[in-house]
Amino acid sequence: MHVTLRLTAIAGAMALISGMANAAGEQPIQGGTLIYLEQQAHTNLYPPAGGFYPNGGILNQITDKLTWQNPATLQVEPWIAESWTRNADNTEYTFKLRPGVTFSDGTPLDANAVAKNFDTYGRGNKAQRLPVSEVINNYDHSEVIDPLTVKFFFKKPSPGFLQGTATIGSGLVSLSTLGRNFEALGDARHIIGSGPFIVSDEKLGREVDLKVREDYRWGPKNLQQQGRANLDGIKILVTPEDSVRIGALLAGQADAIRQVQAYDEKQAQQQNFPIYAAPTRGVNDSLSFRPDNPLVADLKVRQALLHATNSKQVVDTLFSPNYPQAKSVLASSAAGFVDLSDRLKFDPVLANKLLDEAGWKPGSDGIRQKDGKKLALTVYESLPQPQNKEVLQLVAQQWKQVGVALSVRAGDSGSKTVDSLDPLKTPLNVTEVGRADPDVLKSSFYPTNRDALLQLRGSSNLVNTFRDDKLNGLLENIAAETDAQKRLTLTGDVQRYLIDNAYNIPIFEEPQVFAGAPWLKGLSFEAVGRPSFYGVWLEKRG
Amino acid sequence: MTGYLTRRLGQSLLVLWAAFTVSFILLQVLPGDAILIKFQNPDLGLSPAQIEEMRQAYGAATPLWQQYGHRLWSMLQGDFGFSVQAGVPVSQLLADNFPATLRLALPGFLLAAVLATLIAFGSNMTGLRWLRNALQSLPSLFISLPTFWLGIALIQLFSFQLRWIPIINPGEWVGLLLPVITLALPISAPLAQILIRSIDRLQTQPFVAVARAKGASQRRVLWHHVARNALLPVLTIAGLLLGELIAGALITETVFGLSGLGQLTQQAVNNQDVAILQAIVMISASGFVLINLLVDLFSPLLDPRLKYFQRVSS
Repeated sequence: MHVTLRLTAIAGAMALISGMANAAGEQPIQGGTLIYLEQQAHTNLYPPAGGFYPNGGILNQITDKLTWQNPATLQVEPWIAESWTRNADNTEYTFKLRPGVTFSDGTPLDANAVAKNFDTYGRGNKAQRLPVSEVINNYDHSEVIDPLTVKFFFKKPSPGFLQGTATIGSGLVSLSTLGRNFEALGDARHIIGSGPFIVSDEKLGREVDLKVREDYRWGPKNLQQQGRANLDGIKILVTPEDSVRIGALLAGQADAIRQVQAYDEKQAQQQNFPIYAAPTRGVNDSLSFRPDNPLVADLKVRQALLHATNSKQVVDTLFSPNYPQAKSVLASSAAGFVDLSDRLKFDPVLANKLLDEAGWKPGSDGIRQKDGKKLALTVYESLPQPQNKEVLQLVAQQWKQVGVALSVRAGDSGSKTVDSLDPLKTPLNVTEVGRADPDVLKSSFYPTNRDALLQLRGSSNLVNTFRDDKLNGLLENIAAETDAQKRLTLTGDVQRYLIDNAYNIPIFEEPQVFAGAPWLKGLSFEAVGRPSFYGVWLEKRG
Repeated sequence: MTGYLTRRLGQSLLVLWAAFTVSFILLQVLPGDAILIKFQNPDLGLSPAQIEEMRQAYGAATPLWQQYGHRLWSMLQGDFGFSVQAGVPVSQLLADNFPATLRLALPGFLLAAVLATLIAFGSNMTGLRWLRNALQSLPSLFISLPTFWLGIALIQLFSFQLRWIPIINPGEWVGLLLPVITLALPISAPLAQILIRSIDRLQTQPFVAVARAKGASQRRVLWHHVARNALLPVLTIAGLLLGELIAGALITETVFGLSGLGQLTQQAVNNQDVAILQAIVMISASGFVLINLLVDLFSPLLDPRLKYFQRVSS
């Protein structure tokens, strides 16, 4: 069993590597249209909202970024910016731009355009309802030094900014796109970038057509692929049904698909259709508590639930080797990961002991009670996460063994959105964020970012008292620490703090799983698993 | 007759107004709203104050009765408003999606009607008992097939196994083949059941016995005397089946990844995009009203006795 598992894992890894390196051995063929099946329709394509994978799948083809994060080394390398400097305390960054880059509407991608992009992403724009980007912290203003030099100023140190310029949320768009209101950016045709592909047509909610930009010659300089993309076009089709996506791929009707369920991986591999499992290198697929809810305010209760959770069983029962069991809050491929497996042990005896100590006594129906109240919790299923309902139901079974009831709700998005702001209604929530920088912890847990723990003065007005300023201070330090080594140490401290306070129960490292046809070559992924079709080519099908 | 028509039209308008008002109220009662769903998105990380500003900007903070009046007035002028989620006018979304649904629903309904007729009359005309039993049990089979399962099964068989019909990026008409069958089978079932039952009932009627006594063949009795009368209840049911048709289209469009009102409705429900939902409610209600009006106007053509009732009551 173990041997087969390991073999499959190796095969998967080989497929991933060969997918990336294929262009090395064979001569790419130019031409052809790639059919790519997406599970969900894109939402708003304002680049800072590009975190949603269906959005990122489009934005990654049509926009370029200042810098390129090498997915193999996680180093930040040149792209639209040829070089950069920053001052010692990381409050000033200067970028030298590559000359001759234009947006697809013909306007220049120069210092002025870059300055306007980051002024908008860093500060937001209330009149146009454009929100602030979560990857840019402490932004103050920009200055155009000359047509190809731009300088950014920050109110406080912002060491994550350089990596931030490489993320999907920092795609550069033309001034005409920035001039539109937020609502207008739901239409892909309104996103004018400088990338290797252009949006040529769109059927809202159903299909986005991209065509190659013939005059493109400013891809990341360290990439094998240079000049225009190999493909003539890409057809992105929304195909919500899992079985239809995988079936169509295997029947030769599509070239690549996103979101392959773990149970479908085997049939693809058996027919020599490679699976690409790209890590998301951020906060693991996990459960986060809302300690403002009295039921989970007690550390002992949270610790008990942490130890009552058998993440190994979840991974073994529902997933494949592409979904590694979590060893910390962060994925093992994330920057600053520390292995905390010894603090995450499945230990129902300890869980029972902790619950007893906390005063929760088993009731007649097997559910623990205290002062006439049952230890019954509710969680909403998170649709973007793979097999989330099944994961939560399995966790519910595990918790039942120690006398805690967990009801899993599907719910409409309205109820889910409203209830998720109320710690009394949602004592815990599913969390996951992908980003290859320690700032990802702040993105997930800081009260004015995603606010996973629902803190006072955060995203909700319904929180009574809970706020952990020690945690928030640590997160602010990560965002402001200029010494790279110290920053990684702080990242470790935050992971320990989150686990020691049992704020978060990590379950597995969430990959983005794609499958491709055997004739699809040169598919690569950015650092957190968004596909890049720039180097892709289609082999002749015999 | 004119009086009858005026009265029916008046009733129809009342029904439409009631549909508008009830849907407005129901959509307001639901927890959350489109603006919250769109902006309370963890990817955006907005504070409660910023979201409140968005609400102001979208005019969601005005009193409900004002919103109601404004929406009703705009709708009367043919303006369906703006979709919060998609950021485009609802009329544009309808223009994109309505023809697609018509292309699916009309052939679907026609095929259902043809199937129902074949089953009902076929089972009545055959002399073979086993065939009659087999045909008559088809409706119960069809009605118990869940649409999504049927769709996936057809795709698996005809597209993935036999590879006869591409499902991804097919030609416009080829692509409709499987969806139309998926939609038609479950809808043909109630039609066939009603038709079978009303044929059976009519066969025992005195006028059929008279026709037979006069020496009419089974075929002539069936087509000349029974068919016309048997269609009456079917027509009534057909009017009611519009709802089934819309629900079926929703699932069919999702399984096959087609654009259309069904898929639009599903997304609008998910995002509580009130403007779209109200437009769809109004379109469906108008469809219902229109079809039932037509059914009532056509029924006298099939059964002249109904003409008399209309005259007396008008």
